[in-house]
Amino acid sequence: MGSTRERERESRLCAVTFFARLHPGDVCGSNGLPLTPNSIAILGRAQKLKELQDETLCQYLDVIRGKHERTIVVSEYLGMSLEDYAKRHPPLAIAQILRIFYQVACGINVLSQHHLVAHNLEPKHVLISSDGLRVKLFNYGLHHMTKGGAYVPFPIGNIRYMAPERLLGLNGNVKSDVWALAMMVVELVFQIELWPKLKLSNVVRKILAFGRSNGVLEKIAREHQCHERYAEMDTNLRQLLESCLSVLPKRRPLPGELLSHPIFETVLTDLKKEKLQALDEGAEHVPLLLRCPLSQIYHLWQLAGGDVQAELKKEGLIRSEAPILGLPQIVRLSGASVCPGRSQAQLMDDRVVPLRLKALLQRLSRLPAGVYFPLLHSPRFPAHFARELQELPLVIRERDIEYQFQRVRLFTRLLQGYPHTSEQLRREAAVDVPPLLRGPIWAALLEVVPNGSYAKIDKFTSTSTDRQIEVDIPRCHQYDELLSSPDGHRKLRRLLKAWVTAHPQYVYWQGLDSLTAPFLYLNFNNEELAFLSLFKFIPKYLQWFFLKDNSAVIKEYLSKFSQLTAFHEPLLARHLASISFIPELFAIPWFLTMFSHVFPLHKILHLWDKLMLGDSSYPLFIGIAILRQLRSTLLTSGFNECILLFSDLPDIVMDGCVLESQKMYEATPKSITHRQHALRLQPPQALDIGVADVELKHLQQEQCPRISAKDVQFLLDHSPAELALVDLRSVVEFGRVHVPHSINIPFATVQLGDQRLEALQVPQLEALLRGRIVVCVSNIHQHSVEFSHFLVACGVQRTCILHKGFNVLHSIEPNILISN
Amino acid sequence: MDSTATRTLPFVYNYKNHEGQDCESRLDITFPFDQENLEECVTQLMAPSQMDPMMRYLDENINLEKQLQEFVDTEQQKFLDDHAEKLLNQAANGELDIEVIVRDTERLYKEELLQFADRVGPSDADIFAQSFHRLVHSSSLEDILKRERTYAKVVSDMTEHMDSEVETLNNSQQQEMDSQINQLDITTTSEDINNLLAQQYTTQNFVRKRYESELEAMMGHQKNEYRDWITSQVSQMFQVSPVATPLGNRSSMFVSQQPSMEESFTIHLGSQLKHMHNIRILSANVTELCSPLHAEESLNGLNMALGLYSSSLCGVVVLTPSIQAQANKNIIKNANKSTEFHFEQIDVQLEKIEKQIKNLSTGDSSGSSNSNSSAEGSATSSPTKKGVPRLKTGDFFITKHSNLSQTHVIFHLISDEPINSPSEINSRHPVILGLRNILKTASRHDITTLTIPALLRHEMSEDMTVQWCIRRAELVFKCAKGFMIESASWGGAELSTLQLLLPDDISESLFTTLAGMVPSVFHVANPKILVDTSK
Repeated sequence: MGSTRERERESRLCAVTFFARLHPGDVCGSNGLPLTPNSIAILGRAQKLKELQDETLCQYLDVIRGKHERTIVVSEYLGMSLEDYAKRHPPLAIAQILRIFYQVACGINVLSQHHLVAHNLEPKHVLISSDGLRVKLFNYGLHHMTKGGAYVPFPIGNIRYMAPERLLGLNGNVKSDVWALAMMVVELVFQIELWPKLKLSNVVRKILAFGRSNGVLEKIAREHQCHERYAEMDTNLRQLLESCLSVLPKRRPLPGELLSHPIFETVLTDLKKEKLQALDEGAEHVPLLLRCPLSQIYHLWQLAGGDVQAELKKEGLIRSEAPILGLPQIVRLSGASVCPGRSQAQLMDDRVVPLRLKALLQRLSRLPAGVYFPLLHSPRFPAHFARELQELPLVIRERDIEYQFQRVRLFTRLLQGYPHTSEQLRREAAVDVPPLLRGPIWAALLEVVPNGSYAKIDKFTSTSTDRQIEVDIPRCHQYDELLSSPDGHRKLRRLLKAWVTAHPQYVYWQGLDSLTAPFLYLNFNNEELAFLSLFKFIPKYLQWFFLKDNSAVIKEYLSKFSQLTAFHEPLLARHLASISFIPELFAIPWFLTMFSHVFPLHKILHLWDKLMLGDSSYPLFIGIAILRQLRSTLLTSGFNECILLFSDLPDIVMDGCVLESQKMYEATPKSITHRQHALRLQPPQALDIGVADVELKHLQQEQCPRISAKDVQFLLDHSPAELALVDLRSVVEFGRVHVPHSINIPFATVQLGDQRLEALQVPQLEALLRGRIVVCVSNIHQHSVEFSHFLVACGVQRTCILHKGFNVLHSIEPNILISN
Repeated sequence: MDSTATRTLPFVYNYKNHEGQDCESRLDITFPFDQENLEECVTQLMAPSQMDPMMRYLDENINLEKQLQEFVDTEQQKFLDDHAEKLLNQAANGELDIEVIVRDTERLYKEELLQFADRVGPSDADIFAQSFHRLVHSSSLEDILKRERTYAKVVSDMTEHMDSEVETLNNSQQQEMDSQINQLDITTTSEDINNLLAQQYTTQNFVRKRYESELEAMMGHQKNEYRDWITSQVSQMFQVSPVATPLGNRSSMFVSQQPSMEESFTIHLGSQLKHMHNIRILSANVTELCSPLHAEESLNGLNMALGLYSSSLCGVVVLTPSIQAQANKNIIKNANKSTEFHFEQIDVQLEKIEKQIKNLSTGDSSGSSNSNSSAEGSATSSPTKKGVPRLKTGDFFITKHSNLSQTHVIFHLISDEPINSPSEINSRHPVILGLRNILKTASRHDITTLTIPALLRHEMSEDMTVQWCIRRAELVFKCAKGFMIESASWGGAELSTLQLLLPDDISESLFTTLAGMVPSVFHVANPKILVDTSK
């Protein structure tokens, strides 16, 4: 018994596979674009099924698209099929049959509450635990994910259990499932197999012939020589089954009505009792891993090297035939072709392949319980584990099973405690974000709290932007299967329309689609979360970008981008300026879509992981990091080459880009990135740069950004080694009062034409400036500006200008100035 | 089956507005109802024309949705039940043809579900394919190639022999004829000459036929012997080492016969997610790509054998006029230089295709074409000219080969462009669309290296000006690029190498011009430069 239980535990997952229908010939959709492959449509529809969680339903975990329209469905598995169970334990007691009856009816009921029908109920698709107590429906989503069979070439459902109206082509009625259920119960009660020797066509005739007779149950009993059992049957049960097997669906009970039938009273009390018992005993011997959600187990199974396709191959379900043998002989222009006969490997094979958990269980069994269920608020049990792994590159961490396990468990806890845990969550997210939970983690980082407001937004009334949205959606990240599925298109449309409706002050700018795509991708089954994330994301990073007239905002942003480029990459900035390759020519789509228009999703995810933690200036540093990666190419390119290079951005190494941008972000004082239009959480203080102090014309005239007195003071106090203050006032003024350790270069002595540092004749000036934030200070602003241009031309990094000049330093308290 | 039946019912929602007045909002709901539309219906019921927008903020939508859902659920159930009742009654009254339903259902189940299908084992071709593929990825590879070469030698010797004998015969007959003609009106009459001519013709025919039948017998014999030998080798190998090699073997293609000019590029396609492909532009005679495999010692034999049953096949597009299923003469000759061990000899393949075309053209396509295309096939290939069955421009037929140097599959694309008057075509031209179908077929059947004629011509002619060539090449490049981008969504094998073939008699300057167009049409991948960042 112990071993069966163990085996049962190890095969909690399974896979089935089939081929989606190929589109005939060459057809286009109504929008003139090529039709979406059916396997993609199936993948999109199946997402909804993953959300279904009920104790009488096997959970759906994944849908994988193979080559040539192969579709693989991964789901939960339990014990064995009812078919096998009935064979192993004949005959089943009536009490047990009722129990099965009841639990399957529960499953159907749950499905119908979600507006789903199974339509393929048969003993193969009813799973039962080896102790015979728990029953789960299996593979019940096939009808839904294939849109009633429209996306697959094969018929859905076993003829023997098929209600007559389904044979006439009517689908979608939950009462057809009730019929199928009753047929299964009849088999168990009569201890028979329905029409075991009959040909398929005769089974169809039999079922259709029921239409002319009443008393289907009696007829079946007679045909299978078990009239005695029929006569001996409990009257209640007989009447119930007879009503379920009414030829007219109208007379059959709904699953909900079925459940409240008095015959199930004892079953009901038993089930309740067991539930209480289970709570008492606890699942003492169950490995800890199996108490985690199945979706996490499956994710870990994949990380542990699980490969569904390989498992299917091992079982002979993916038979590889030499492709050359299947080539057509003639293909007409219309797409019609003459092919050799279809090989049987293409047919629907309903075998179920278990995915074994043994290796995974062993692998994770060594971990302490604290990793499975981390304690967040007890310093005695640090939630941290495997800290040394955090030094490894992200790609490796994302593939390390133990590390991911730990992260997933930790974040699961943190998310459960959100928003109470938001601070800790932010801290952990700064380390890395486990891919499995990225959607909710991002939402938490954006401080989203779902409140049902999404449901109230009108997403349907047509507006003037509909046409543009309609054009953009089929072009938005279509390499991704989810986003290219009809369901993905519909969801994206709803999200975009909802956003437009919710922001009457804004307009739809092309690019909003790309911006929405990552959120939809991560929260495919939770549109509200996707919407609210977007809703919070845009003001945080793209405040005012979606105004009808956004030119002022964009101009300011790009000017700041130029300044920051000069700040971090002076030589590159000088070169780009010299060939007039201005950011307007390449960077608008970068920032308007936060790079989601230029990179594929898997890169955006890593980029945004970090972006979410930064403020509105972070994207600017990403832009500079990209330029930095292309630096050598750019420095040797002229205007035309640069345009060509950016028209189709080359492969950027995202890892490096993320690291670089983070480094720059951290090394740049906040006031350097000051923008008038950025989202502000607090009003500026006396020593900050005032909201409207710096106008666009200043930004455009000054190559170097301004720094606030506050930041200078902070640097002086905390890290004077990172600051180099260049005082441009005259020697006399400098002598009167100055900042300690500042360098005095009187502006009058500077020859701006001679762009070499040595020309300034300050000993070891280069060493004094290198690696520091160079602040140009003067009484006359124009002097600072001109000198800063001089420094940039000399290639000095991190040059900036003190906002409001030297005099502002007088107002700092406590005093920082000294006089000789 | 009556699936179009619908029923429309009005839904009336009664509510109190914010001032406490009784109001109602109504909408016609059509059944069968799609649950996806529920929210849209709610929106319509709450449209400003029906309801004060204020109600939205008063959470009226929640109650409205609940009531609408209840209404829809009940009515949907009623609709389905009634609809079923109607159909069941019709079936009981005999208004529906039960037998048709029975037949269709049975057919569907038998054709699509393995469980009910009449099980047939894998075909001989399939078994042989598996055996060969396994053997060729073992140490026996060398033996196989050696054997193939020996066989090829025998056949080519025979053909040579035949050619020389026919030539000798020709010469002697010519002499005889000459002498007879010289004697004309002296000792011979024109009738004698005619007789002689007939006699010579018969002799020649006889010699040819004898050789041909000998060749055929020899090829048949070789093929049998070869296949038997492969099978026996495999069963031996099974006993020794049951190591399987995966089918998806990516063998690279060496080009041993250097074409006269060639240039290669690596490109990235796709707007965000980029797929890498190789593009090679070369000038060569198309028959060089389809030269006999064993004519010389080369690595090609090895490559072709390794790739034959793999999922990385090589294909070539060859243009052919529409007269009949006729392949390029030289290619046929090349393919006949040795025995085709894996497929039928090219003549037989072509004969069969010819037969299929006849079937197609008489409109009786349902029997032979596969199920998913039969409907279209019969709709489009209407029997236009009875008795002259032929493919049209843009159609293509396919032959399979194991004894050609650089290709497993030849796509014979029909193109009727007259040789001496180069025309202007656009991207909707049938040949271009045919090309798209070829790429689609290639993607579906794992052909990962494909060669297409970049000018849609195999030879240069006087009228092909430089301007025309540039225009034509640009069109083909751009269309090929478009199709390759599109192919990412087809879900098949990715084309790893696209070869753009230019005629071998192209001038060097024109080649350089056209090769220079490749990087501008296809975005050539920027070289990735590794910079040492440790400094």
